[in-house]
Amino acid sequence: METRSDLALSIDDLTVAYDEKPAIWDIDLDVPEGALMAIVGPNGAGKSTLIKAILNLIPRAAGTVSFYGAPYERARSLVGYVPQRGSVDWDFPTSALDVVTMGLYGKLGWFRRPGAAERELALAALEQVGLVDFADRQISQLSGGQQQRAFLARALAQDAQIYFMDEPFAAVDAVTENAIVNILRELNQRGKTVLVVHHDLQTVAEYFDWVTLLNVEVIASGPTAESFTLENLQKTYGGRVSYLHGGQLLAAGAP
Amino acid sequence: MMPLERLLIEFLLTFLTREELNAFLRSPQNTATLVGGLIAVSGALLGTFLLLRGLSMTSDAISHTVLLGIVVAFLLMTAVFRVEGDTSSPWLIVGASLAGLGTVALTEMLYRSGLVRQDAALGLAFPLLFAIAVILVSRFVDDAHLDEDAVLVGEIGLAWANTNSHCFENCDSVTVAEDHPAAKMTRQCVNCRELGISPRDERAEFIEVCGNCGFYSPARAWSAGLLEREPALVFFPKSISVALVMTLLTLAFVLLFYKELKLSTFDPALAKALGFRPGALNYALMALVSLVAVGAFDAVGSILVIAFFIIPPAAASLLTDRLALMLLLSPLIGAAGAVFGYDLARGLLFGFLPIGDAIALINRLFGLELVEEWDSSISASMVLVIFLLFLLAWVFSPRYGLISTALRRVNSRRLFDDQVVLAHIHNHQFTAQAATELRVATLHLHFRWTRRKMGRVLARLRALNCIRIVSGGAVLTERGEERAHRFRATMLEAHNMPSSLE
Repeated sequence: METRSDLALSIDDLTVAYDEKPAIWDIDLDVPEGALMAIVGPNGAGKSTLIKAILNLIPRAAGTVSFYGAPYERARSLVGYVPQRGSVDWDFPTSALDVVTMGLYGKLGWFRRPGAAERELALAALEQVGLVDFADRQISQLSGGQQQRAFLARALAQDAQIYFMDEPFAAVDAVTENAIVNILRELNQRGKTVLVVHHDLQTVAEYFDWVTLLNVEVIASGPTAESFTLENLQKTYGGRVSYLHGGQLLAAGAP
Repeated sequence: MMPLERLLIEFLLTFLTREELNAFLRSPQNTATLVGGLIAVSGALLGTFLLLRGLSMTSDAISHTVLLGIVVAFLLMTAVFRVEGDTSSPWLIVGASLAGLGTVALTEMLYRSGLVRQDAALGLAFPLLFAIAVILVSRFVDDAHLDEDAVLVGEIGLAWANTNSHCFENCDSVTVAEDHPAAKMTRQCVNCRELGISPRDERAEFIEVCGNCGFYSPARAWSAGLLEREPALVFFPKSISVALVMTLLTLAFVLLFYKELKLSTFDPALAKALGFRPGALNYALMALVSLVAVGAFDAVGSILVIAFFIIPPAAASLLTDRLALMLLLSPLIGAAGAVFGYDLARGLLFGFLPIGDAIALINRLFGLELVEEWDSSISASMVLVIFLLFLLAWVFSPRYGLISTALRRVNSRRLFDDQVVLAHIHNHQFTAQAATELRVATLHLHFRWTRRKMGRVLARLRALNCIRIVSGGAVLTERGEERAHRFRATMLEAHNMPSSLE
């Protein structure tokens, strides 16, 4: 299958299996440049697995992924990654500024150390997420929301073209949620492509203009207005969804 | 190793005379402290990363399984390649490092199978390799350097005695051949064993054999009395050069890959996504851990090695929350442990408290007859002192120590009590219920506190000039008013986020 280079991300037949059970199955997904896309699906649907497989962090059983037509190895500098907050040890002896600076390590490459220029970039990224006053704070002394924003700032410092965020809204306070949404919109306005694993169905239509519904397979993918329908949601979540979120979902999802 | 040693000695000889250097190296204390200190420095540097990766016990596993590498390499050398086995040979070090990596690989394989947990995988892998090593030692190896005692606690106290000799002047080596005047010729029966006869039997045939022929290095030649002029020799303990090389390698590794090690320790997923190779880096780290474990094996055995890796960084992590500082502090703590540990083994705690005197005092006080002589294992004493240093950090660390944590807790509880009372007064003064709510005599009832506790808080607030008592009721002063407001503001800020985002 040919890959179109005007697509920010193009996934063909991607399958990942843990043992013999597929975690994601035959994923085909095209994401146009500038999309702000939510990836939603029930627990165990393979949302995080999808992102990790896209970024080559776990072995793929089959399939290809290309970024602007290039494989990941040649597109590294185009890609920014915000892992789940729980994936690291926040007691690590380092400061918020240092964590953000880590986003710049990719550009520095092996051996070169971050200097004054990197410090400025990292501070600017912290400024963007409202954490500049916490730059020298030990990271365990940040609140959960602040930690999430530090991760976001790290991705911003990477200055990528396409961002992958794994549940950035998980267990954060209202202010952090607001801050993240503002940054998503700003990235979107600057023409960046952003894919966000999201779990709050009620805010999908408000925050995102594209959506992918995933449950091991892609159930639907496209502009939110077209794809985020009750029918698709029921296919993704089974019958539970209308029972749990019925009224609001109809209001949010119906055109 | 030899040219490196020579370079180092030449460097040292620019500061010291040869006699001074030899005297320094011949002291068991200097060599033991130096070797222990170097092991502690390299162990602490690598241990910092092990500790932060949650791999503390891996250093213990590796320090055991390197024995397998040592034994296998030793057997290969003696049995297959027919060279003399020597525990500081580079081949043993290579073998041991491979065994260390094998442990890590085996552990990962067991863990990846999904059938055992990570700690159990480690617990399965290393006893297996260690058991094989012990069986091989007891079955095949007959060498003083590989006995069970050496495996247990090492022989750092004897490190000074195992030396390489380096000659700097009058370096005449001698080759003793059969025609050499010093050659000692003996007759040896060639067919006695074959025929099962005694050498006195008339059928016995003899050849002349030279008992002391061979190559004599200047040092050996001088001690065998083959030289007229005394060569200028320096005897350099092998353990020092081994420890020095591994410390330099460790230092170079940590300095060179500081950024990469930090990233792949904190967030391996990002490290991988950015194109660094956390897997390769991990194996490089483990290879170095194995290397240091082998170097340390001779000196401190295999059981105590983990202390040199883990205790110093554990102590340092209580003193700082910056990785760079931790990497500076933990080698210092380890080195201090080595220095004071030697003293402790000789009966001197922290270099100035004689333990013998303390025991004598106890004997006098309680009428006991404990032995006042104190002479104990050097490596164990070093570990004990490193642990004492950890204990000091644990109790007294200004940030995370037990005392400061307890003080902070008391202080914040006190501060909170003050604030609650201030807020209560703030809310009720100038209201209709002020007279009942703020009466000092009954104020404690509103809080369900004891009268004494309320008395203490009110006394403190009065002393701080935050409240006044006006006709039996509590009233905020200007200062108290300000404190009540400030507290409200900071509490709100703690729950919300900086205003720049709103």
